[in-house]
Amino acid sequence: MIKGYAVLDFVGKSVMDSYQGVTQFIQLVVDSLAEGFRPPLRIRETVQQLYFIAVQSLPIILFCVCFAAMVTILESSFHMKLVIQNDSMVPGFAAMLILRELGAVVTALLVTSRVGAGIAAEVGTMKITEQIDALRMLGIRPIHYIVVPRLIASVIGLAILTIIANLVCLFVAFLVSEIYLGFTSGLFITGLVRFIHFQDLVFSIIKGACFGFVIPLVSCHFGFLCASGAEGVGLATTRSVVASSVIIIILDFVLSFVFSFFS
Amino acid sequence: MIQFEKVVKRFGPRTILKELTLHVPAGEILFILGTSGTGKSVLLKTLVGLLRPDEGEIWIDGQEVSKFSEIEYLGIRKKCGMVFQQPALFDSLTVFENVAFGLRRHYRLPEAEIVSRVHSSLAAVHLPDASEKMPGEISYGMQKRVSLARTLALRPQVLLFDEPTTGLDPITTASVNLLIEELSRQFSTTSIVVSHDMTCALSIADRIIMLDQGRIVEEGSPDHMKRSQVPLVKEFLAEVVT
Ligand SMILES: Nc1ncnc2c1ncn2[C@@H]1O[C@H](COP(=O)(O)OP(=O)(O)O)[C@@H](O)[C@H]1O
Ligand SMILES: [Mg+2]
Repeated sequence: MIKGYAVLDFVGKSVMDSYQGVTQFIQLVVDSLAEGFRPPLRIRETVQQLYFIAVQSLPIILFCVCFAAMVTILESSFHMKLVIQNDSMVPGFAAMLILRELGAVVTALLVTSRVGAGIAAEVGTMKITEQIDALRMLGIRPIHYIVVPRLIASVIGLAILTIIANLVCLFVAFLVSEIYLGFTSGLFITGLVRFIHFQDLVFSIIKGACFGFVIPLVSCHFGFLCASGAEGVGLATTRSVVASSVIIIILDFVLSFVFSFFS
Repeated sequence: MIQFEKVVKRFGPRTILKELTLHVPAGEILFILGTSGTGKSVLLKTLVGLLRPDEGEIWIDGQEVSKFSEIEYLGIRKKCGMVFQQPALFDSLTVFENVAFGLRRHYRLPEAEIVSRVHSSLAAVHLPDASEKMPGEISYGMQKRVSLARTLALRPQVLLFDEPTTGLDPITTASVNLLIEELSRQFSTTSIVVSHDMTCALSIADRIIMLDQGRIVEEGSPDHMKRSQVPLVKEFLAEVVT
């Protein structure tokens, strides 16, 4: 009996905590949007963040995306040969998968682990060393000062990264299909043109931008809530990466579902 | 000047400040003593709106401020400078820019005026040569003094110090204490100093408050404190005698 109550109590508390967390997060999203339109625009800071988010993430993204492209095209070839004894549709099929899912999602997850973790640790440290209090004392709105430049940089950065990742991915798929699977470039390009459309690239960029919107907001949310001590910063970092990744995967499903009505 | 009326502050189920009532007249140097975790920092942060009270009223200069918006609080924060328990310097800015930061935000001053105010504030905390260093390159004690200079540069009417000397060596401690006293007397600033340092409290405070578990357990002049029979006060005094 008592055990039953303890379980209820625990469930109740967890629900209350996550309810509170979600309302705080929504408040942060609303405030950030409102602050985003207030002058002054912190252009220098935004450019610095863009450099950190986009330029410095590029090598690792290119590296990983190459492997993702290779495995995509090899796997699709293998499956098609297995099912319909013919892999002539592989280029178009792989390209579609890359544009619709891989490019944007792989990029966003890599940026989450690199940039999201960084932002959460940075903001968490500012919180527990009273730097955020000091900012407020000196007349600065922390959301305007900290969140907005990261948000703008991340939305732009992920949109650009997604384009680059997609193009590189397609190029690697092309190389593999020509060198290893024996397609001619003509065959590859006909396949590509038959299956994919320009709007697929547009949808992919929209996805990237949405993921770019999620990452800094979730990271800042957990940073602002950071409890004192090195342990607190570690926890804030872990939670922000987990939460961002989960949200990205759910959001990917939602967006794909919505886009499916347009194609 | 400053008044707390039955202020209650809770964090979740824990009540940190329990119906705290406190009056600080203009020009007074008030020391707030108490063991760690009794809510001294929370008290100061509630005063300047970094934390909001759950109940009660806070009056500053005849205005009830506890329901102020963040924008309305700007004026209060310009008036009441706070030196935090930690240095809280901005890592990516030089010492000079850290000290100039608040000046640039709160006042529209010509650059020459900013430069001269920054240098005089740094000189006041005995750091005339540190202005081009980054916070990471200087020692903890120096960082705490820069943070002091950052607040002094604003020339606030009310100075709030959160353990200004904790973690400093005895010589720096003495000079910071002297500085607090000088500033208060010279510019008739109202000062609230949160501290563990009974010796210093006895020598420069007009009034001392002993806080325990979110309540005031004893208050009075230094002489009154010396004769107090409250056990916690006696424990703090024992430190001084030995
Ligand atoms: N932002 C906060 N959230 C939750 N608890 C807090 C917060 N700030 C302070 N506390 C709690 O309030 C109590 C008093 O803290 P504080 O005022 O920092 O003590 P001190 O007297 O040492 O300065 C502590 O137990 C601390 O854990
Ligand atoms: Mg404290």
